[in-house]
Amino acid sequence: MDSESVKQEVIKQVQTQYAMNNARELIEKINEHCFQKCVPKPGSSLSSGEQACFTQCMEKYMSAWNQVSTTYITRLKREGGQ
Amino acid sequence: MDALNDHDLEKLNDKDKAELRSFLNNESQKARVQSTVHSLTDMCFTKCITGNIKQGKLDKNEEGCMANCAERFLDISGLTMKHLQNLRQG
Repeated sequence: MDSESVKQEVIKQVQTQYAMNNARELIEKINEHCFQKCVPKPGSSLSSGEQACFTQCMEKYMSAWNQVSTTYITRLKREGGQ
Repeated sequence: MDALNDHDLEKLNDKDKAELRSFLNNESQKARVQSTVHSLTDMCFTKCITGNIKQGKLDKNEEGCMANCAERFLDISGLTMKHLQNLRQG
């Protein structure tokens, strides 16, 4: 391996790791919040209502994440520009 | 091709080392921002999404609440720093 391909490999590994950590964190939070919200009394199986709630909750959590991300990044840019 | 070893890393020339260093600085800054977004979302979702879930989209109230919640938390954390500085000087 030459210098260039070692560099590319390091970059690739770091990016993969970064994306995986991010996904893991998001999945953990979605499970935590949406289980709490959608399965208040766990029965012997997930009902179709609970499953529908979970799908919507997941979508909502991701929209909430995007909203916070936009807000925070806008603020960082504003404060950085001062 | 996985598992780079120390021997591979020694092959990096100075120019590539410098490039990697700035790439890593950049990535760790991005990671810090992401981690703040995760914890703000966690906190504000609990505060803002209080009713039963009826649709996947955020409604207008929830959207505004998430944005305000994030902004106000950041205000608060700025205030904490200011108070602590005042304590140190006073």
